[in-house]
Amino acid sequence: MDEPMIDMSTAAPAVGAAFVASVVEVVEAFTIILAVATLRGWRPALWGTGAALAVLAAIVLTLGPLLDRVPLHLLQLVVGVLLLLFGMGWLRKAALRAAGVLPLHDETAIFARETAQIGRDDARGRSGDWIAGIAAFKAVLLEGLEVVFIVIAVGAGRGLIWPAGLGALAACLVVLAIGAMLRKPLAQVPENTLKFGVGVMLSAFGVFWTGEGLGIEWPGADLALFGFAALFLGAGLLAARLARAGRGVAAS
Amino acid sequence: MSLLREILSELFGMFVADIRLTGAVLVVVAAAALLAGAGTGGAMAGAVLLVGNLVVLVAAVILGARR
Repeated sequence: MDEPMIDMSTAAPAVGAAFVASVVEVVEAFTIILAVATLRGWRPALWGTGAALAVLAAIVLTLGPLLDRVPLHLLQLVVGVLLLLFGMGWLRKAALRAAGVLPLHDETAIFARETAQIGRDDARGRSGDWIAGIAAFKAVLLEGLEVVFIVIAVGAGRGLIWPAGLGALAACLVVLAIGAMLRKPLAQVPENTLKFGVGVMLSAFGVFWTGEGLGIEWPGADLALFGFAALFLGAGLLAARLARAGRGVAAS
Repeated sequence: MSLLREILSELFGMFVADIRLTGAVLVVVAAAALLAGAGTGGAMAGAVLLVGNLVVLVAAVILGARR
């Protein structure tokens, strides 16, 4: 039997959200991997990264088949609520950063801090390669868990896990290729803008899936996602503007 | 053990970055679920879900800036 055609109006936002979110996460993980490689060489950096990817693959292979057993409406509701919590959290933080309330994420500073930490551990006589490998392992595992969640969350409701996964894989390859060429932290990536965009998309998916899980029929079906994204973008920008204005009033 | 604790704490933080935001989102979802279950029509439940979350977002950012 032929596989059903993938609807581009649903697939495009899912793949786009997975790609952009993964760029953000991979840039963060790459900074730590590079710090480890700079101080201790590529061997501990690569074994830490490889071990973390193996753990992530085990999680996906264990949880993936279980998702097929969950009734679709329940899956949409649970994933929708989790996406709302995750996406709105990102959007709130990105708006506060855009308003100047929270400091921007600085990859160069994180690189310097991580390098100093590994150097201190070395000076204390701890097994340098081991400590450095664990740092790479932790960074890839923690950032990778977020990527896995996003891929499952934006893909599970419509059978789009594979396309979303390919979006995430493409992001990994792009970031790693650029990182390998530059061999320095990717500080020029407009991380807060990307996070703002991802927060908008995840929040839009969250409302969409939660509604579907509750049995709500959205006008325009899948196209409603674009409308939701526009509304969350507007609300996020408005919130950032109000927060900035509020700070100005408080400071004067 | 500390690595496991760190991972669990990171997972918790993914969904509960701000306890008030999390609480408010869950209240909005519960209100939409009640409306959807009460047979008032999906349009009302959908409107509450969408508008409620937009309002929660703006309020969370403004409150975050004041803190």
